[in-house]
Amino acid sequence: MINTIAFIGLSDVINGLSLGSRLFLIAVGLSLIFGVLGVLNFAHGAFYMIGAYVALAVTNNLVDNFWLAVLLGATAVGIIGVLIEVGTIRPLYGRLDGDLDQLIVTFGFVLITHEAIRLIWGSKSYSLDPPAVLDFPVSIGGSSFTAYRLFVIGAAFVVMVGLWVFITKTYFGSLVRGTSSDREMASILGVDVPRLYTGVFFLGSFLAGLGGALAAPLQSISPGLGEQVIIDAFIIVVIGGLGSLSGAFVGAMFVGTLQAIGPKFMAAGHVAIPFLAMVLVLLFRPEGLFGGFGE
Amino acid sequence: MGNGHKNNDSRAAANSVGVDRRTFLKTTAAGAGLATVAGCLGGGSDEGVTLGALYITSGFASLYGEEAERGYELAADEINDDGGIDGEEVTIISRDTEADATTAGRQLRSLIEEENVDGLFGLDSSGVAQALAPQVAQFQMPFMATHAATPFLTSPEGEHEDSVGNDYVFRNANNLAQDIYGAARTAEELDATEWATIGPDYAFGYQTWDYFQAFCEGLDVDAEFTAEQFPGLETGDYSPYISSIMDADPDGVITPLWGADLTTFLGQAENAGWFDQIDYTLFSVGMGTDLPADGSPLVEGEHASTRYDPFVPDSDENNSFRERYTDEYDTLPTYNAEGAYRAVYMYKEAIESAGSTGSDDLVDAFTGMEHSGPVGDYQFNEETNQATVPSIWGTVSYDDEWESNVLDPVEVYEATPDVINDALGDSDLPSGV
Repeated sequence: MINTIAFIGLSDVINGLSLGSRLFLIAVGLSLIFGVLGVLNFAHGAFYMIGAYVALAVTNNLVDNFWLAVLLGATAVGIIGVLIEVGTIRPLYGRLDGDLDQLIVTFGFVLITHEAIRLIWGSKSYSLDPPAVLDFPVSIGGSSFTAYRLFVIGAAFVVMVGLWVFITKTYFGSLVRGTSSDREMASILGVDVPRLYTGVFFLGSFLAGLGGALAAPLQSISPGLGEQVIIDAFIIVVIGGLGSLSGAFVGAMFVGTLQAIGPKFMAAGHVAIPFLAMVLVLLFRPEGLFGGFGE
Repeated sequence: MGNGHKNNDSRAAANSVGVDRRTFLKTTAAGAGLATVAGCLGGGSDEGVTLGALYITSGFASLYGEEAERGYELAADEINDDGGIDGEEVTIISRDTEADATTAGRQLRSLIEEENVDGLFGLDSSGVAQALAPQVAQFQMPFMATHAATPFLTSPEGEHEDSVGNDYVFRNANNLAQDIYGAARTAEELDATEWATIGPDYAFGYQTWDYFQAFCEGLDVDAEFTAEQFPGLETGDYSPYISSIMDADPDGVITPLWGADLTTFLGQAENAGWFDQIDYTLFSVGMGTDLPADGSPLVEGEHASTRYDPFVPDSDENNSFRERYTDEYDTLPTYNAEGAYRAVYMYKEAIESAGSTGSDDLVDAFTGMEHSGPVGDYQFNEETNQATVPSIWGTVSYDDEWESNVLDPVEVYEATPDVINDALGDSDLPSGV
C-alpha cells in the first residue's frame, strides 16, 4: 500500500536517529561480544529487556530516581551477563561444537528470562515516565519531540565515542583488540584471557542493559520486548559487519532511519525493508559494510 | 451430546481384559446408556455443564482475557447459586489463545476432545476468529463469539472470498460493520473532511479503514481519505507512524488500535502533540478494556465506541448487572466482560429450552434466538447468526462518581441489517449482519 504522502522531513531524521540510538546500544554489545569472544549471544535481547524491567522496578518500588534506575539496570544486567558467561559459556569455549552449544545455551536463557519476567511482572505492558528534567516538548522542524528523545540520541553518540576511545586508546582496549585477533598469542604473552573475556561480556551486557533502561521511557515494556530488538540487532550487526564497532553504529542509524521513513512510503509491509537491506548487503558484501573489530 | 469417545474407551478396556461376548455386550450397552444420559446434560464430564472459553490471557492484549474472565465467572457464580442449568452446575474451562491462530486451534481441539465441553465462547482477535471458524464447523460444536469483530466471521461462506460464516458460529456482540457504521454516522456530525487511520497491521486494522471509507461514501459523508498507517502488533515505539500521520495533517483520525498497543500509542501521541493538532480522534476500540478506569490515558473530549455501555440502556437488567459487577470487582464492566457474561446466560437459556446439551440442539436454539441481557433486547439474524445489537459511540468524559472515563454524551445507532447493507453503498464488503 503506497502512502500518498511521501517526503522526508527533519522529524523523520530525528525519529530515525532516536530509533537507531537505542538499537545501537544493544547491537554494539552483541557485536563486541562476538568480535572478541566469538559468542553469538541470543540472550542479548533478553538482557536489553531486563535492563528496562529493572529500571522500571527501581523507579516504581525502590527509589524514584530515573538516573539511578538506569545505572542499576545496566549494572544488574552486566552482573547477570558475567554469571552466565562464567557459569555456562566459559565451559563451552574449548568444545568442537562450541558454537552450536553456545547458541543453544544462550537461547535457553531467552526462554528462561521470558518466563521469569512473566512470573514476576505478568504479561501486562508497562510504561516508564522520562525524568522530569527532560520531560518537556521540543519543537523541531514543525514537529514536537520530548527532550528525552533527543537526550537518548546524544547518549548513543557519547557511548560510541567513549567506546572508540576505550578500545583504541587504552591499555585494556589494546588487550581486547589483540585477544580478538589472536587468542593463543595473547595468552602466551601473559594476557589472562578468561578474565578478559568475562570483562568484555560484562561490558557488552552492561551496554544492552543501558540500552533497555534508557529506552524504557520511549516504548512499552512487555515480555515481548527482547524478541523485538534482538532481530533488529542481528540485522544491524550483519549490515555493519559482525564484530565491528563503527559497523554497529552506522548499521543502527541506517536501520533506525529505514524504520522511521519506511511508513512514509509503505503504510504496510515496510517492516521488510531492513531485511531487504540485510539481504543486499549479504549478497554483495557478505562481511558487512565494515570489517574487523575496532575499525 | 457426548462425542462418543467414552464408548470407544469402554470397548477397548473390555476387550483388553478378555471378557466373554455376553459380558462385553452388556457392559458396552450399559456404558453407552450411561454416556447418553451424561451427554444429554453435562457433555464429557459425568455431571454438570462444561463450557470452554477461548480468550487472550497473556501478552499485549491480556486485559481482554482478564475482563472476559470476570464476566463469565460472575455469570457462572450467579447461575450456580441459583440452581445451575437445569439443576446442573456449570463449569467454565479457560484457555489462552495467545492471539495466535495456531495456538487457538490447538486449544479449541483440546477443549473439545480432551475436556469434552458442551459449547464454546470467546475470541478477541478477528484474525484468529477467521482462522478458527472452519474448525468449529468441522467439529460441529456451537461457538458464541463475544468480541472478535470481523464481519467475515458472520458473513456466510461464499458471500465473499474471505467469508467464513457457518451454522455453528454465532456472535452476540456487534461486529465491525455495525461499529464502523456508527463511526461514519459520528464523522458525519463532525467538522472534519480529511480523514486518516492508524491501525494494527492485520485484518482488523485494514477492515476498519475499508469499512469506514465504504460507509462514509455510502452515507454521503463529506470525507476525503488521506494518510494510512499500519504498525505491527506490539509496536514499542510509534513515533514514525505518529509523525507520518501528523505530517499529513488530517482533520480526523479513526484508530482501531487496541490492548496495550493503544495505551502505548496514546502516551506517545500525546507527547508528540497529536491531540493539539488533530481535531478529532475516533477510538473504535477505545472503551474495550479497563482503559476507561481511573488513570486512563484516553483523552477527554475525543470520540470512542463500545459494544456495550454500562449505562445504556437504562434498564433494570443493565443497572442490576452493573451493580453486581461493581460490587464484585470494584470497577465498571467493560464490553468484553458483558459479552462473556451474556454468553454463559445464552447457553443456559439454549440448554434449558432445548432440554439438551447436544450440539445440533444448541445450534437450533441459538438460530434466530431472541435474547435479553444487560446490552438490551436483540435477535440473531438467521442468515448470518449475528446479533442485531446497536452501535454505541460517544464522547470520552471523566465521571467523578464512578471515578472512571465514560461516554457522555452517548449516541446509540440502532440499525437493521437492511440499513447497514444499504449504507455500505456500492462496496463489495459484506456486512456480516
